[in-house]
Amino acid sequence: MRKPIHITAPRPTLEELEKHFRISKARKKELQALVDEFKAQLPHIEEAPLTLIEPEKRRKRASAA
Amino acid sequence: MPPLPDPNAVFLNVPYDEEFKSLYIAYIVGLYQLGLVPHLASEIPGGDRRLNRIFGLIKSCRYSIHDLSRIELSAAPLIVPRFNMPLELGMTITWANLHPSRHTWFVWESEPYRLQRSASDLNGTDPYIHNGTPEGVLRELSNAFRRDRMPSVPGMLDDYRFVDNNLNAILYKNGTRNPYDRSVFLELCWLSKNLADLIRPAGPTA
Repeated sequence: MRKPIHITAPRPTLEELEKHFRISKARKKELQALVDEFKAQLPHIEEAPLTLIEPEKRRKRASAA
Repeated sequence: MPPLPDPNAVFLNVPYDEEFKSLYIAYIVGLYQLGLVPHLASEIPGGDRRLNRIFGLIKSCRYSIHDLSRIELSAAPLIVPRFNMPLELGMTITWANLHPSRHTWFVWESEPYRLQRSASDLNGTDPYIHNGTPEGVLRELSNAFRRDRMPSVPGMLDDYRFVDNNLNAILYKNGTRNPYDRSVFLELCWLSKNLADLIRPAGPTA
């Protein structure tokens, strides 16, 4: 069975990556506007209830089916 | 000993073709969601020989993903197999065998058992099967890499759709039709990184 690789390295920050991106300030501003528009739609995503099925219940459901 | 690779860097060995672009975007979005940083051969400027640049990039990345799902015959009039992806995979396997603690490689395919037919020497290597869909790519990225705080696959899909919907505008602004161009790749990365920094609920755990 394949095991996933657990990543322990800290996530890179946007500032660290921006050194590599080299996108013009004007273009970043335009892209940021797009991201802000998307963020404005986020609350409904964050409030969406998650359906968590406990392993025990899942087993029971599977055996009942 | 060679210098240590970037522990978050992932070399993406993917086909640069029109049919693959949704999966390409899914890889970029998904890797950023997992706190990883994708790298593409086309992002490296400079006049050095292409193969040297690619090998340099492989060496600087801790991981690599080799998507062999588009290994097929090219269109007429010159019908030849596409060898770039297997060639780069071969280089990577050699590098990883020489320095196993510095590089880990993964093979990705669209269908089960296809790899056994296209590259039987890789028997014993379990490929990640994405079924040729962006959702499959995001699901398999979650299977390949774990973090303490994981985004849900539906959350990743939302971000994928957002970036995909903005691809045409990014292409237009950069004066190109090629989503694999350096400037387009960097802007896709920038957008994906920004989205990845949003707080998301964790998905159901299996």
